[in-house]
Amino acid sequence: MASRPTTPPVSAALHDGRSGPAASEGPPTPGAPIHDGLVAAAPRERLAIEVERLGVQYSLRLTRKATIRQRFVSLLRRRTGPRRFWALRELSLSVRPGEVLAVLGPNGAGKTTLLQTLAGIIQPTEGTVKVRGSVTGLLGPGGFDPELSGRENIDLCGAFLGVGATELRDRTDAIIEFADIGDFIDAPVRTYSQGMRARLGFSIASIVEPDVLLLDEIVSTGDEEYRARSKARLRQMVRAARAIVVVTHDMQWLTEFCSRAVLIEHGMLVADGAPADLVTLYRERVTAAETSRASPGHPGRLHNA
Amino acid sequence: MQAPASSQHIYAGSPDPPASVNLLCAAIREVVSRRRLIQYLVAAVTRKAGTNTLLGHVWWILDPLLQMPLYVLLVGVILRSGTADYPLFVFAAVLPWKWFTSSVADATTSVSTRDQLIKQVPFPKLVLPVAAITSGIPQFAFGLIPLLGLMLLFYRDRISLFLLLIPLVAAVQLLLTLAAGILLAAFNVFARDTGRLTGHVLRLWFFLSPGLYSTDRIDHVTARYPAVGHFFRLNPFTTLFEAYRDLIYRARLPDPAALAWLLIASACLLAITLIMFKRLEPRFAKVL
Repeated sequence: MASRPTTPPVSAALHDGRSGPAASEGPPTPGAPIHDGLVAAAPRERLAIEVERLGVQYSLRLTRKATIRQRFVSLLRRRTGPRRFWALRELSLSVRPGEVLAVLGPNGAGKTTLLQTLAGIIQPTEGTVKVRGSVTGLLGPGGFDPELSGRENIDLCGAFLGVGATELRDRTDAIIEFADIGDFIDAPVRTYSQGMRARLGFSIASIVEPDVLLLDEIVSTGDEEYRARSKARLRQMVRAARAIVVVTHDMQWLTEFCSRAVLIEHGMLVADGAPADLVTLYRERVTAAETSRASPGHPGRLHNA
Repeated sequence: MQAPASSQHIYAGSPDPPASVNLLCAAIREVVSRRRLIQYLVAAVTRKAGTNTLLGHVWWILDPLLQMPLYVLLVGVILRSGTADYPLFVFAAVLPWKWFTSSVADATTSVSTRDQLIKQVPFPKLVLPVAAITSGIPQFAFGLIPLLGLMLLFYRDRISLFLLLIPLVAAVQLLLTLAAGILLAAFNVFARDTGRLTGHVLRLWFFLSPGLYSTDRIDHVTARYPAVGHFFRLNPFTTLFEAYRDLIYRARLPDPAALAWLLIASACLLAITLIMFKRLEPRFAKVL
């Protein structure tokens, strides 16, 4: 696996985390500091998001899509394979209001799990997550009811998000205008293109005006004009002292738009710093991982707990 | 979400699971506080049923009407073992049974089909099976139209004021449906073929309940095997079918004690399934 870069970028503070069994790089550092400087740096009551020693454990037996027969078979065989794995472990992180935090990392690093935990969709197995104010995640293309029209989906999503009926009615026009999908708004969502669905989702999530907005990978859809508008909308939200956490692989978007970035690998925070530095670090580590993949001692991310 | 901006969400990994009583209270609070969401979901289902098919809501009337002659042909004509006014006799059982099975089937898949949304928005998952079962109520109500039509046309002498008590029996059935549907919705998240299995179990259940025959038809069986008699008395659909039949077919008051017992049992079962659902709920987003 990749050896830790000996000279990290100046502004990127490297996190040791706790070197659990999944940690594949660097020697274990007993007694490594758990809190980074950031938690202490900002006054606690002003932080938008505060994550302390977060750990999320998945049970692999449950996660495999199973039928009753498969469950029965695995019960009989008492398989000895990995039963559980930590999607996130010993992750501490804080976000100040007004920050746009990018979460970087390879596939399966735990980025989406982190967002889901921040949104309250997944409960932490250990540690604490504090989010001040209202949180909304971006409604992805799969979240809509394909048989209902765009307008009806706005109503339904609003109800799922818990937006008040009158509040939603007041904002429906703004949502429709921002989504910019024309007459399609009254057509069933199954007739929409991917881009149109993504735009409707972004439009609902942003119009709801959450204090903390979580975006997962779908920021860069639509034409130039729409992208410009969504960027303007995001800027507006940042100005209103709202925190945004973005998971993306769009490095250009990231360096241009985010004020800070963190790198997650194997469920642990590896680095925290300026977006440009983190992108460089991430790219270095990806190439390093690719070259070491040929070596036989490649550690897997699964382990017995 | 609806929380004011000053609010704070704290999620912590807790070692001990919450008490069952708290879970039950939380479940009831969730359904009450999210009734608007349930209302939206019900409206969405109703609209979809109405627009996507050729005959729309007419199916709600046609479905039981088309199923009834099937049984009349099989039991009344071919097997020649029907009772007097057999079409009405069968209809009084087919109508509530169709309501039960379609509600349970809808509820079973209600959570697993919303997998994408569950991974994107935090909301009480309990609203999904509750909404699915609530959407079945108008379906049952519409089914009463052909029942009344049938009675007005052919069985005028059986019409009585007891018909007005149908909603009471239906309310007991609704509790039972909620209990079964919520439980199966949670199971279906972990084993996607739960729905298939329940389909077969339900079919067997119908033939083991006095839907197509009256209870005295199995007297010769219960005399020889008392266990069968106990099973029959414990079967909630024995009580329900008999109660519906008393109101519709025999024009008399159903056994209040049996209904009261069923009401209590269903309420207890519902409480248990609500607690189980709440216990399993945190795992949904991880499994789906």
